[in-house]
Amino acid sequence: MLALVILIAIVVLIGILFIGAYNRLVALRQNVNEAFADIDVQLKQRQDLVPNLVETVKGYAAHERGTLDEVTQARAAAANAGNIEQRAQAENALTGALGRLMAVAEAYPDLKANQNFLQLQGELSDLENKIAAARRFFNNAVGEYNASIQRFPAVLIAGMTGFASRDFFDVGPDRAALQTAPQVKFS
Amino acid sequence: MPALGLQTYIWNNNIRSAILLVGFPILLLGMVFFLTLGMIWAGMLPPGAYYGGDVAEALSLMWSAAPLAIAVAVVWFVIAYFFNQAIIDFATGSQPLTREAEPRAYNLLENLCISRGMTMPTLRVIETDEMNAFASGLHEGRFSVTVTRGILEAMSDDELEAVLGHELSHIINRDVRTMVIASIFAGIITLMCQIIYRSIMWGSFGGMRGRRSGNVGIFMLVALVVGAIGYVLAIVIRMAISRTREYVADAGSVQLTKNPDAMIRALRRISGHAHLDAPQSMRAMFLEDDDEGVMGLFATHPPVEKRVAALMQYGGGRDVAPEPPPRSAPPPSLSPQTSEAPLSPDGQGPWGQRRDGPPGPWG
Repeated sequence: MLALVILIAIVVLIGILFIGAYNRLVALRQNVNEAFADIDVQLKQRQDLVPNLVETVKGYAAHERGTLDEVTQARAAAANAGNIEQRAQAENALTGALGRLMAVAEAYPDLKANQNFLQLQGELSDLENKIAAARRFFNNAVGEYNASIQRFPAVLIAGMTGFASRDFFDVGPDRAALQTAPQVKFS
Repeated sequence: MPALGLQTYIWNNNIRSAILLVGFPILLLGMVFFLTLGMIWAGMLPPGAYYGGDVAEALSLMWSAAPLAIAVAVVWFVIAYFFNQAIIDFATGSQPLTREAEPRAYNLLENLCISRGMTMPTLRVIETDEMNAFASGLHEGRFSVTVTRGILEAMSDDELEAVLGHELSHIINRDVRTMVIASIFAGIITLMCQIIYRSIMWGSFGGMRGRRSGNVGIFMLVALVVGAIGYVLAIVIRMAISRTREYVADAGSVQLTKNPDAMIRALRRISGHAHLDAPQSMRAMFLEDDDEGVMGLFATHPPVEKRVAALMQYGGGRDVAPEPPPRSAPPPSLSPQTSEAPLSPDGQGPWGQRRDGPPGPWG
């Protein structure tokens, strides 16, 4: 009789631990999803900003076609990217293209004095900062989630209930390219 | 379980707070137990042969005293619950802020609330140049976030958002309630200690001397030791809870704003400029309290260095020095003490004298 009670108690205890661990994993995965949604919002805002920016620059520097096209294409690629890895690559390419566009704009004093351009430039740099912060928060959440599903009791639950590890939103190999100064061409 | 990131770190601190909170009733019962034991040793209660030993007798007496202790705690809590709000409203002397008066702070707070789907707490301001903030309110509809004018003036948007996020996390986590419970327990224990000391001072145990002379001294000694240990432990537990709640609110703010750097910069900015005159029991609620206490054991807040280190380790933050005053500078003559303005080397303002704010609301 006593043995039975103890046995039931142990089973119930394991069940509670199991449910607790599962709920923790769900909460961590939800954290990752929310964090990505937040990056997504910022990236979309940046994409919405690009056509405006391109139009404004065109008004003063129409013959910088190469740089302008590059930005437009990079934006299209970013808007259509599939999984997180491609998305990160496309967005990084867009960051690079926008950086080069801004560098080109330096050569046009009229453009730099344009109120509209200045406002867009300010918005863009604000968005870049927010994206950088949101990306680090996301990567932090992914790191926590990935580490949690690999730890001992949780790894059993994660295997049974389909918690897969997630990709980081990474600057990746493009980092070096982003950090070199963009070339300014006068054509 | 070790903290792997921000969320697990928050969970761990919540567990820590819960364990500390359970420490209060245990401490209270422990004190009753040892006092009873002291009375048995001193012969003021019949020896425990009948119960099977002195310790067993003290234990059984402790359990029979427990319901009384719980009843006192509940009554005390109910009274404090209803008066707490009125006391804080009276003590702070803060003014409610409208959207028109301070659109920046108002909108930031409103956005944070929308992102969590909660009713916006009242935003209030204290007119002083010091930089601090606190959350108050015990139930839905009475929550408020109070900031000082110094914070509104000196912080950039993302830093102010981090500060508001910190206070909002206190509200979401119902930390005010936790701290009220903690201070009530600490209050009961303090009251117990005071009764012990007064009794000893006024010699009210003297009356018992006639029955069993000489032994009262033993009880007085035991009571003194128990009282002293209980008194110190009560404060230490209470402050430890307060510190865990601060760590959780820092992390919660990062979860709300997704920006650990801004929280770190805000902490760096207010560090050393956060002084508000207030009773100890209110300081626990502040954004920052510089009062270190003995070895940090009696401090309501962890040192800024530790808070920054935690944000870097678990929140992925970077410790960057705050930039010079960000808010599109109000003319310096209006706010000579906006604190981040480059001070002369001796830490004084350009006017050579540290201007104190208007007399503090608790002054």
